[in-house]
This record gives sequence, structure tokens and C-alpha cells, in this order.
Amino acid sequence: MALLLLYSLWPWLPGQKGSAKTIVLYGFSILGEVIDRAVFPAFQAHWKERTGEDVELISSYGGSGTVTNQILLGVPAQLAVVALELDAIKLDKAHRLDPRATLPNSGVLNQSPFVILVRPGNPKGIHDFADLAKPGIGIVHPDPLTSGGAQWALLAEYGSRLRTGGTAEEAEAQLLGIWRNVVSQAGSGRAARTQFDSGFGDALITYEQDVLHDTLSGHLKGEIVYPACTVMSEPTVVTLPRNIPEGDREMVQAFVDFLWSDEAQKLFVESGFRSLTKRLNHPFAPLPQAFTAADLGGWPRAKQEIVEDAWKGKVLPRLHP
Amino acid sequence: MKTYKMPVTVLIVLLLPLLLMPLTAIFIFAGEKGLAGFVQALSSQDAQFALRFSILIAFLTTLCNGILGTFAAYVLSKYRFPGRDALMVIVNLPVAIPTVVVGTSLVLLWGPIGLLGKYLDPIGIHPMFAPAGVLLAHIFVTFPYMLGAVKPVLDEQEAAFEEAAYTMGATPWQTFRYVILPALRGGLISGALLTFAHSLGEFGATVMVSGNLRLRTQTAPLFIFAQFEAGNLETANAVASVLALLSFVLFFSLIRMTAPRQSSR
Repeated sequence: MALLLLYSLWPWLPGQKGSAKTIVLYGFSILGEVIDRAVFPAFQAHWKERTGEDVELISSYGGSGTVTNQILLGVPAQLAVVALELDAIKLDKAHRLDPRATLPNSGVLNQSPFVILVRPGNPKGIHDFADLAKPGIGIVHPDPLTSGGAQWALLAEYGSRLRTGGTAEEAEAQLLGIWRNVVSQAGSGRAARTQFDSGFGDALITYEQDVLHDTLSGHLKGEIVYPACTVMSEPTVVTLPRNIPEGDREMVQAFVDFLWSDEAQKLFVESGFRSLTKRLNHPFAPLPQAFTAADLGGWPRAKQEIVEDAWKGKVLPRLHP
Repeated sequence: MKTYKMPVTVLIVLLLPLLLMPLTAIFIFAGEKGLAGFVQALSSQDAQFALRFSILIAFLTTLCNGILGTFAAYVLSKYRFPGRDALMVIVNLPVAIPTVVVGTSLVLLWGPIGLLGKYLDPIGIHPMFAPAGVLLAHIFVTFPYMLGAVKPVLDEQEAAFEEAAYTMGATPWQTFRYVILPALRGGLISGALLTFAHSLGEFGATVMVSGNLRLRTQTAPLFIFAQFEAGNLETANAVASVLALLSFVLFFSLIRMTAPRQSSR
């Protein structure tokens, strides 16, 4: 017991002694690794060189919806990266400001198209979203209630049909077919990936980054399938000035600016994101038919038509009558 | 005489997949990358923080509930007053309430939009999403354990000893210190161990009130969950096996503490 007490009270680790400044960041699930391990350490070195100060990152990652609601409930986030503009709009409204107006690309940090991850050898012959609607396929899907990735996936499942000449009815039918096959739902995109890796299902609808990241490190157990037409997700940065102490404003702003620097963007590209600064991208698979939320009339409209009316209004009631 | 072999074998076969094998799995997965991988996973800054923070919170919770729970047990055991039965139910309620509900209710009371929190927020007091919030949640969730361990001992205690102390001129404090407290030793220790163990493993309430910030409010169980969700199974299992080991040690000390007392009766 005494040893345990000693262990818990032993001088805290470097950076926990109160001397270092901190930045508190909440981010959606798949960002965790690239920010904690690559982007922030790079900023840390820069800041040290520029000012001689140490800075620590205090971070938390979860589904984008979870993160958004945590912030609405009052967690001390100073900056957040949410998976979609819609969550950013919610935060803007609650905090009665539009901080993204001053950010590059209106806060869009980078891009990642939605792809399908299948088992090695693609035993079920899945080549497009339409194949996912066929009977006998098990899909692991993040939960649209808490996951931003899941909302993007809904846009992909519906929009891919709509934008390749389908009618709204056909798009709905595809969405219903896919959702009949969902065997497991996880709280975030990253958690859905972990479920898939633990052996659930035949296919996972996820961020290209999540798959590429493992391809690059040689850890991928599966095959990536690029649908002919898919959605290009756009993670969005929000700053929350009310949670930033006056003395730290400059530092937080410097970190925000750093996120769009060539150096940081290169680190994002290395971890599998597509940069909006095109010259930094290494050859990604070309996706001529990829669309963004703006192509569907913007997130507020897409949310109403696809998530609310089609998915919640028509698909869900038919799944659980 | 009936042979015991059959029922015992059946029991063990039943328990194997239910209790024993899952625990073994943690240790096997934790050791999958060898000792070096295990040590590396444990020595990361995040993992170290989570473990230390959890242990520290467990100590603080035990200290708070050691005092509060013993006091509650004393009041409920020694005094008869209107509403005593209702109070008994209330103090034991945390056993029955789902921990997630505890977390939600704390956020809705102390959080920045909460009943009390909205008045604290403007003056810069934020108990939620901070270590204080985690402590509040753990005190709530583990409250009944100290009470439950101490009150039965107090109930059994003869009032005569206490009265004798008073007639000999002892102050209430002296009576408590020299007459009541020594008798409570066993109850206090087992209550403390139970409180400590429950605090160490608390998840549901903590995840709601902590904000799950690494290096700030992330306890060991939250760390395990976050790492597991992120697919870092080795890291998750390394910390999980340390927690499991700690609980074993606590549990066996609990058995050793309580066993002699029972056999002497």
C-alpha cells in the first residue's frame, strides 16, 4: 500500500510539473495518432525554438458527435477538430461566434474519401456501394448518433447512387439495402475499424486515411476497395476562445496556423490524409467522381435530406418495424 | 457418502470459460510482444499518468469515504431519529444506480450548464471535466462500501462499553478513539480495500465526468478503453493486466483480513 501511494505521488512526469504550457485539443477518432505522434511534436519543437517555452498537448479523441456534445456540455477544449462541418456549425451556434471565418479553407483541415475495407482476397466480391446492399454481406458501420464518420458514410451510401444518375428512390433503396446488412455499430470510425479488425463482418465503410495509414506501415489485414463514386470527407477545425487563457492566445493561434503549414500538411499526407495544398499530395488513387458535402447543397441540407429524412425517416423504421 | 468429484468438475468446467479464461486472455495478449513490448507499452507517458492518476484518486476516495462513511455508519447505527430508514436507503442507493447515470447526474449538477455549475462557471470554478469531478464521482459510487463494512460492526457493539467510558469521564472523542475505533479496525480495513478496489476500476461515471483528457483526467480504465478503441491492443492489455494484478492483490488481502475474524466466531 505504501509503495502504491509513493508511486502515485512520486513527482509527476516531465510536463506534469506545471512548468509547461498546455493546449487542450478534442479531436475525432482517427486523428489521434497523427496529431499526438507527428503533428504536435513538430509544433512542440518549433515553439521551443521560437520562444524557448515547453508546450504539452492535452488531448482527447472520440466520435465527432461525442466530442461535439462534450464541448457543448462544457469540457475545457481550446480547439477541436470535428469530422464534419455540421458539428462545427453546432459549436459556432452554441458559442455565438464564427471563429472559422478567420481560418484557412473555412477551417477544413484536409480531406479523405470514404472507401470500403474488405477481407483479404475480397471473398464476397465487393466493388462498389451497390454490392454492399446485396443479401449475405455483413457490414461494420460506425454509429451515426456519435460518429461523424458514420454521417459521411450515409452521404456516401446515398449520394453515390444519386450522383451516378439514380433517383431519390433508388438512392433510398441502396441505403436501405446497405443498412439491412449492418451487423455491428461502433461509437466512432476508429472503434468501428477495431471491431472489423477483431473479426466482425465482411466489409467496413471508412475513411481512406484509416486504411492507408496501415497500408503504409504494413499492418493492413484486408483490401481497400475504391467505389466509383464516393464522398470526400472534410475534417474541420474550430477554436474556442472562451477556454483559452489570455496569456496562451498567441501560442494556440500559432498551433492553429501550424496545422495548415506545409510541414504539418505533409505529416497529414504521410499518415494518409489528402491535403488541400495539392502539390504536397503523393499519388493517391484518382477519384474523378468524388463529391463533397457542398455538391449536395451543403451539410445542413444534406443532413436534413439524407440523414434525417431518408435514413432516420425511411430506412430505420423499415429495419425495426 | 457422495463423491464430490462430479459436481466439482462440472463447476470448474462451467467457470473456466465464464471467469478464468477471460482473465488469462488479458495476460496472454499483454505478453504477446514479449517482456520488452509489455514494458514499453507500460512506460509511455500516457499509461504512466493514467495508472498513477487512478491510484491517487483511489487513495483520495478511500480517505474521503473512510471518514465520511464511518461517520455515516456511526450516526445511522447509534442514533434513532425520524427519517432514519429513508436515509439508510439513500446512502445505499449508489450500489443500485448505474454508474453512467451517476456520471450524467453529476454533470447536470456541477457541469457548466448544470443546476449549480451555471453559477460556479462565471466565477471560474469548474469541478467537472477536472480531477475534482473524477473524485466526486468516485466518492458517490463507492460510498456504500465503507458504510456497509463498518455499520454491522457498530450495530453489534454493546452500548455498555461506550457508557462505561462516559461514566469514567471520557470525552466523546476519547470514547471514539479508545473504545469504538479499535473495535472497528477490521471493518475499516475491509471497507477501505473495497472502496479502493472499486475506485480503481470505476468506468461508467468517470467517463462522463472526466472529459477523458490524456495527461489530465484520464484514469487507467478510460485509458484502456481509449487504447482498445483505437486498436492498440497491446497497450490496452498491458495496463489492463496491471489493473487486474492490483485487484488480485487487493482481493487476497481482503480475504486474509476478514478470514481470521470470521473463524474466531
